[in-house]
Amino acid sequence: MKKIISLTVNGVMHEVAIEPRRTLLELLREDLGLTGTKKGCGIGDCGSCTVLVDGMATLSCLTLAIQVDGRSVETVEGLARDGKLSRLQQSFVDQGAIQCGFCTPGMLMTATELLRRNPHPDEQEIRRAISGNLCRCTGYQKIVEAVQAAARTEP
Amino acid sequence: MNLPRFDVLVPETIEEACAMLIEHANSGIRLLAGGTDLLVDLRSPIIPQHVPRCDGCLTHPEGAVRSTIDCRLWDSDPIMASNGSLRGALQDEGLASPAYLISLHKLDELRGIQKLRDGSLRIGAMTTISEIGRSEEVGNGWAALVEGAECLGSPLVRNLATLGGNIANARPAADTAVPTIALDGTLTLQGASGIRHVSARDFPRGPGISVIKPDEILTAVIYPPSPPHSASAYYKLANRKALEISTVGIAVSLSLEEPGGPVADARIALGAVGPTPILAESARDVLIGKIPNEAILSEAAHAAGDDARPIDDHRGSAWYRLQMVEILTRRLLKVALQRAGGDK
Repeated sequence: MKKIISLTVNGVMHEVAIEPRRTLLELLREDLGLTGTKKGCGIGDCGSCTVLVDGMATLSCLTLAIQVDGRSVETVEGLARDGKLSRLQQSFVDQGAIQCGFCTPGMLMTATELLRRNPHPDEQEIRRAISGNLCRCTGYQKIVEAVQAAARTEP
Repeated sequence: MNLPRFDVLVPETIEEACAMLIEHANSGIRLLAGGTDLLVDLRSPIIPQHVPRCDGCLTHPEGAVRSTIDCRLWDSDPIMASNGSLRGALQDEGLASPAYLISLHKLDELRGIQKLRDGSLRIGAMTTISEIGRSEEVGNGWAALVEGAECLGSPLVRNLATLGGNIANARPAADTAVPTIALDGTLTLQGASGIRHVSARDFPRGPGISVIKPDEILTAVIYPPSPPHSASAYYKLANRKALEISTVGIAVSLSLEEPGGPVADARIALGAVGPTPILAESARDVLIGKIPNEAILSEAAHAAGDDARPIDDHRGSAWYRLQMVEILTRRLLKVALQRAGGDK
């Protein structure tokens, strides 16, 4: 039986009827059409489904939609404002931190949480923060540099 | 959709949750905390890598769902053989494909870290591993727990996973269960008929098996105050630095009678080298009452090796694990000794 939940996604309030076994990832991609969030392994190992729930980087494949009832979700679609990329997104572009792009939304969300919590992380802190986000192009060096560059320009 | 069909119940109180456990006991019901183990288990057949890989798991009914480190020892465990009332995580088929999940996410009373009046520390079962890893309050007196929390899974897993889930799942390698045993934690179990307290050491009975009753919920863990001149430490030996299950995990909690003085108490917990985490009692016997020096620490570390009961699996051989128990115990004793102010 479907249940009705309400949640805020990128500042917009949604009320949806969902099956209890539906994950937050499925809700975002299939019900709300926000396909920026990627489905990778589906068991919390790869990090490509990372979104922010009440500001906390969260594996949306291991979160039931019903568990975010009443909470606020941010996805990669919410990072750019008025068509302008966020500082971190722009830094990924400038530093060439994107290869195939599949891990990028998850990397961006994890790094967004890191920079809010710790605006000037050192290299070790960045590497540790993204240790649950896999990049199978193995483009980690550029990703770390992009986060460092974004942190340098942080006001 | 990835997950099999089930309904999700969302209780507002612990009592309500206990009543739900009883009401639906026959149709299969599981508690959902962080979900980083449960939701993976429920959909495991899809991913070939998660088919159990150790021989023991393949032959044991419990192992049909989840890879474990040491099911074989479980069969020879006299407690398990004699006590049919213990609840295995998957003894009942209904637990492997439950009709209901009880999501505990609305129970705020299960969250939070609190210093109690007597100096002990109470951590709610739904407190996330991240919160514990970042807590100065926990680090200041219960360092081994913070060190365990910092190496569990990955940062993303830690944001979801909970202390209660990590302990209640009763896996022998659990990165917060091993320090909890070294730190002499006590678990609060609440059931329909009331509350009882169980020592963290007595809680697990085998891989995925514990003394928790079908109507009970682990609500909190209480850590006794750390005595003066004491310290603790945890070390996880694993093939990778993140997203890994330990090959060996050791937690040490050491207290001295005075700085530079004899050992008042020493609790050494060994993870991933037996069907449950093991409290190395012979190592403690070697240390108590003695002023620690190189020879005593080596003797204690050797005794810890005698207490371990490892098996061979894809993470490491029993022989290798025994070597590592001894070496890591010696190193960790030195770390704890230094932190406790006993290093001359």
